[in-house]
Formats: sequence, structure tokens, C-alpha cells
Amino acid sequence: MVFRRIWHRISGRRRRPTSAQMFRRAQHLRDTGRFEAAARLVEEALLRDPRSVVGHLLAAALHMVLRETGEARTSFERVLALEPTQPRALLGLARIAIEEGDAATCRQMLTRALARYPDFPEARALLEVARGLTPAPDSTRAASTNGAVAAARVRLPAESREALFMRADATVIFAEPRGPRTDAVAARAAKLARVATAMLGRAGLGPLRHAIIEGAAETTYLRGDDAALLTLAFDHDVKSAIALEHLEQVWGRCRLELA
Amino acid sequence: MSAAAAVERPALGRDLRGLLAELLRLEHVIGGLVVAPDGLVIAADLPSEIDADPLSALAATLGRELELRGPQLRRGTFPMAQFASVSGSAFLGSTPVGFIVLLGEPRADSEIIRTALRRAVGTVFRAWAG
Repeated sequence: MVFRRIWHRISGRRRRPTSAQMFRRAQHLRDTGRFEAAARLVEEALLRDPRSVVGHLLAAALHMVLRETGEARTSFERVLALEPTQPRALLGLARIAIEEGDAATCRQMLTRALARYPDFPEARALLEVARGLTPAPDSTRAASTNGAVAAARVRLPAESREALFMRADATVIFAEPRGPRTDAVAARAAKLARVATAMLGRAGLGPLRHAIIEGAAETTYLRGDDAALLTLAFDHDVKSAIALEHLEQVWGRCRLELA
Repeated sequence: MSAAAAVERPALGRDLRGLLAELLRLEHVIGGLVVAPDGLVIAADLPSEIDADPLSALAATLGRELELRGPQLRRGTFPMAQFASVSGSAFLGSTPVGFIVLLGEPRADSEIIRTALRRAVGTVFRAWAG
């Protein structure tokens, strides 16, 4: 009996950890913030057990934490190759698609997940957002408005570094300054407002009225409703109260312009 | 306190539940959560009528949108935002481990909450990025 116990202890020390043990250890490393170490361990365990859904999901989650979107997508796709309706992988790919502005793929992934798991609140919430995202706006619509004249009429504050007024579908009405990235920036702002409205709705707070977004270089103030969206960017040293006052005044004039 | 106890005690920025609990003490803050970039809830303390799962999925999506907004926002730059409606505000801070979300009543002092959230984001960043 004693001999057997000693033998087990010795042989246990020599035994290589199983992939399941390695995934558990990686999970612990992740929970303690050692993301790179966790990712390395998962990679090693997956070499031994390449068909582990848990392992590929853990790898995807770690890539997301490390903001490695391409690698996360590969891991989610590997999960789906093993388990075609794995809900977390479908949700993960849907989130990557929405991040990349591909609303159609996002909707497709979420619809697949919900067909298999109708009670999936995360997928349902994201699908509501994706359904409202329109394709890139037709640039000919923007050209029909004289943006320069409109920008002059709404009297932008001198402190404002950038201004963008658009319809809710991201069609630009005017932009100051206007550049090659203006339409892309408008599309992102419209998407941001849509996700924020959905989040506020889920929190029981109602639709988005305004937002203050602190970035590395400036603070962006956003005002919107169902029909339109205005963003004004100010330097960090402009006080919020003053910037919000400017935002409200310009918003009022923009809405008149739109009417 | 013994040295061993000091070693075992998690640094403030690593104890995300503790950090969230601190933020929830702010006046007129009615709830909050910490969500990983893949949308999984790390910690949550929300009013009973709010479902944490859909909120966390949207918060993670919104957090990533904020991170990707401009070329100046790459990994290591962590933005913060306030989204206001007539019924209150949601505050969102981005950290290396995920996103901190706070929900405030309309009468909440936005400046105070944003300052506290900015400090919390900095604490998490220092604790986890090392």
C-alpha cells in the first residue's frame, strides 16, 4: 500500500501534464494577467490536442485580450470547423465582423447562433445593432448638399478642430475639414452612436442624446437623434461645459439646416 | 501586516471586483460592470432589472469601436467616453484587460465620475501592463 503510494507519487511527477491540465493552467495565467504566457501554453497544448474546442476558444479569447483580431478570427474559425454551431465562436466572429464594418457577415453569424440557441441574449442584442447598420452611404447624396455653405451657416466655434454633420445613415452633410477619410469617419461615428444607443437601451436609459469621447489627441463631442448626428472635436484643454454649450448651439443650427 | 500577507494581497488594479466596488460608491452611480474584450463579464453589480449578458456584449463592442476610432488609438492607448440620454449616462473606460462600464443617474456629476473612472483605468493599466 505504502509502496504503491510512493510509486504513484514518483510516476505522477514524471508524467507530462495533460492538455486539459495545460488549458486549466493557461486559464489561471490569463486570470492573473499573464496573457502572453497563457497564449504560449495554449499554443503548446493545442499541438498535442488540436481538436480541443476549449483550447481554440481560450486561444481566441486571449487573442481578443491582446487585441490580435486576425489571430482571434482564425481560432474562432477552427472552433467552427470542429463544432459548426458553437455559440461563442459564432458570437466572436460576429463581433469581429461588426468591428470591421461587415454587417452582413455579422448578421449571418448571429442568425446561425440564434437558430441553434434561441435563448442567447448576447447574440440577440448584437443582432439588433447589426440589423440597423446600413451599407456605406451613397456619396452622390452627400454631393447634393453644398457642404461648404452649410458649414458656414451653422457658425462653427473657433475652438473646434473638426466638425462633421451627417444623416443617421452616415451620409455626410458637411465636414470641416473634409478629407479622403471623411466618409469612413462618418460611418464609424454612425455605428458608434448606434451601438451606444443599444447599450443605453439595455441599461434602461433610453436613446443616446450626446456623448463625450476622450481620445489621445482631442475630445470629441457627439450630439444626435434618430435622423442626424453631429460631432465636434476640441482640444483637451477646452472645458466640457463650454464644449457642450457649443455643441448644443451648433446642433440647433444644424437641425434647422437639415429641415 | 506580514510580508507574506502583503504579497498575497492583490494589487488594487488587479482586483477588478474591488475596483468596481470602489467606483460604485460614487454618488448617483446605480451600477457597473467589467467586461473582457471578448464580451465575457469579469465583474458586475447591476440593478436587478438589467441583464448583464447583453449589456456586456454591447459594452465590449462599443469599447472596441472606441479603441479603433482613429489611427492614434492603438494598443496601449486607452480611451474613455460618456454616453448620455435623458434618463442617465453610461461611462466606459478601456483598459488592457477589458472595459469598465458605470451607469449613472441624470443628476450624477459627470466630471467626478469621469475623473474617478480615468483614475481607475490608470490603476488597472499600471497593474496589468507591467
